[in-house]
Amino acid sequence: MARVFHATAGSGRSASRRAARTEPAPAAAPSTTSGSGGRGGIVAGYLAPHPPHLVYAENPPQNEPRSTGGWEVLRWGYEELRRRLRAHAPDVLVVHAPHWITMVGHHVNCVPNPRGVSVEPIFPHLFRYHYDFRTDVDLAEAIVEEGARAGLVTSAMREDGVRVDYATIGALHLANPDWDLPVVSLSANNNPYFYSDASLAEMETLGEATRKAIEKTGRRAVLLASNSLSHLHWDAEPDLPEDMGVERPFTHAQYAGDMELLRTIREGPTSRLKEAVPAHIEATSSETKAGSLTWLMAAMGWPAIAGDVLAYGTVIATGNAVVEWVPT
Amino acid sequence: MIPAALVPAMPHLLAGDPADSWAELAAATRTVGDRLRAAGVDTVLLLSTQWFTVLGHQVQCDDRLRGRRTDENWYAYDYGHLDHDLAVDTELAHAWADAIDAAGMQARRTRYDGFPVDTGTVVASKLLDPHDEGRWAMVSCNLYADPAAMAAVAAAGVRAADQLGRRLGVVAVSGLSSGLTARWIRPSEDRVEPEHDRWNRKVLDAVRAGDRSAVLAMREEFAVAAQADSQFRAFAFLDGSGAVDRPGEVLAYGPVWGTGAAVVWWGEHTNTRET
Ligand SMILES: [Fe+2]
Repeated sequence: MARVFHATAGSGRSASRRAARTEPAPAAAPSTTSGSGGRGGIVAGYLAPHPPHLVYAENPPQNEPRSTGGWEVLRWGYEELRRRLRAHAPDVLVVHAPHWITMVGHHVNCVPNPRGVSVEPIFPHLFRYHYDFRTDVDLAEAIVEEGARAGLVTSAMREDGVRVDYATIGALHLANPDWDLPVVSLSANNNPYFYSDASLAEMETLGEATRKAIEKTGRRAVLLASNSLSHLHWDAEPDLPEDMGVERPFTHAQYAGDMELLRTIREGPTSRLKEAVPAHIEATSSETKAGSLTWLMAAMGWPAIAGDVLAYGTVIATGNAVVEWVPT
Repeated sequence: MIPAALVPAMPHLLAGDPADSWAELAAATRTVGDRLRAAGVDTVLLLSTQWFTVLGHQVQCDDRLRGRRTDENWYAYDYGHLDHDLAVDTELAHAWADAIDAAGMQARRTRYDGFPVDTGTVVASKLLDPHDEGRWAMVSCNLYADPAAMAAVAAAGVRAADQLGRRLGVVAVSGLSSGLTARWIRPSEDRVEPEHDRWNRKVLDAVRAGDRSAVLAMREEFAVAAQADSQFRAFAFLDGSGAVDRPGEVLAYGPVWGTGAAVVWWGEHTNTRET
């Protein structure tokens, strides 16, 4: 097992870096109709994992800590995701991520311009990210409405002061580091006190509501389901967090569980995931228990297609895959 | 004996228009603060189950935690917006981290601008120390730490405080059952479901009896049967400080949005300044 990271108290080096950092690129204003001129609807969906290590390894100007790299294969997968995402010419990115935990209902970020610094409480040495992006408020509100209409407890979050979590930022940054597309961010309805699993049935309802809202507003949307796969991990870290000499799956069983799921994804159709996802959660404590992948599949209507696995790799032993689905 | 307490984590205790149980729990937490001051406590060792982490044991080493916490779930309520200004006993924090390392565990010294202080810590500190006069030494709740590790972390804090000659209080911020009501409710609708309520009372009866081994023995079953907050490892932390091997005084118990919450005090309770 890797040894734990011993943090040096304070961050004098980060302060000087902060002073020199580059401001994030200005974000585009949200469009009110499909800006691409193409058809609306969900044009692609991605499994887009969010370990803060990947953002740390990229060394973007928005993130204070510096790295020497690491986890390259996953990051190359994200490079391919970015190329494909551009080709889909979306109006908006819609992300469901598991670390904006809301105990009562499903919340949608309706703040027009979320801005701030997100210091990650678990990995503060890796992720202190200055964010500044635009929300597609019309679509966000439409998802709140459609979710409520479907019987879910939903809330429109309009508070500037709510810190945007690292999973939301991580997936969005890795998919679109220029932040030049409007965003809609959905919370994970969960109970942090008991670390319970999300109701996958509710996530299906939320996915269907998301699709209806996208169709109603005429958006051309790309969806990001921000979950890792197998989720057992080290409780310690090497002195150099990006030391790839100690990076490997937690166990062969965890790896094999991920491969079984990815085989199912690559073979298709997606309807097989209705059984495969719960079985994978059972076998590997997969982070898909937070429901993001189920939400994505339901939003796309469980299309009879295969997914394209762009990359797989472990991060502190958790399994992570970058996967694309393009509905026909 | 070190004075110790268990106090709730939920922000509803600070509501302007509280349910009766929220008001009782808040008043009891203020009473604990009065008693800690009456006991001449220099620094409170604080564990909040809402500061959950996965790598090692994070010890807060920033000397001042000043800011505003906007809760990501409760932001629509007055109690979802909480200013905080906490003074950290950094000498003790560093000594505690050293003691954790020396005990063969892994301490992570945490000091970052803008570090998000969890709601439980803010709520407890505002009620225990309404005038921001106290000093704190805070450690995270590792999701994977077993009860023995939680106890060892607390014991390391007590050793560190002894070496520095600090008069110590120990507080765990944690709920009991965590069956949250999954919809927006009026305060008057708040209640703990009967099975969870039975379990909470059973645990509190053992606490009242001063039977720490009974509490520890039923902890796992409690965790499963009543979804106990962080498997009620908060009690293992308190036990590690050596402070709960005597009857606990249950100052309040009641629902907070369906979860069970209690305020328990272990220690002297004369010369209080209760109001
Ligand atoms: Fe995660």
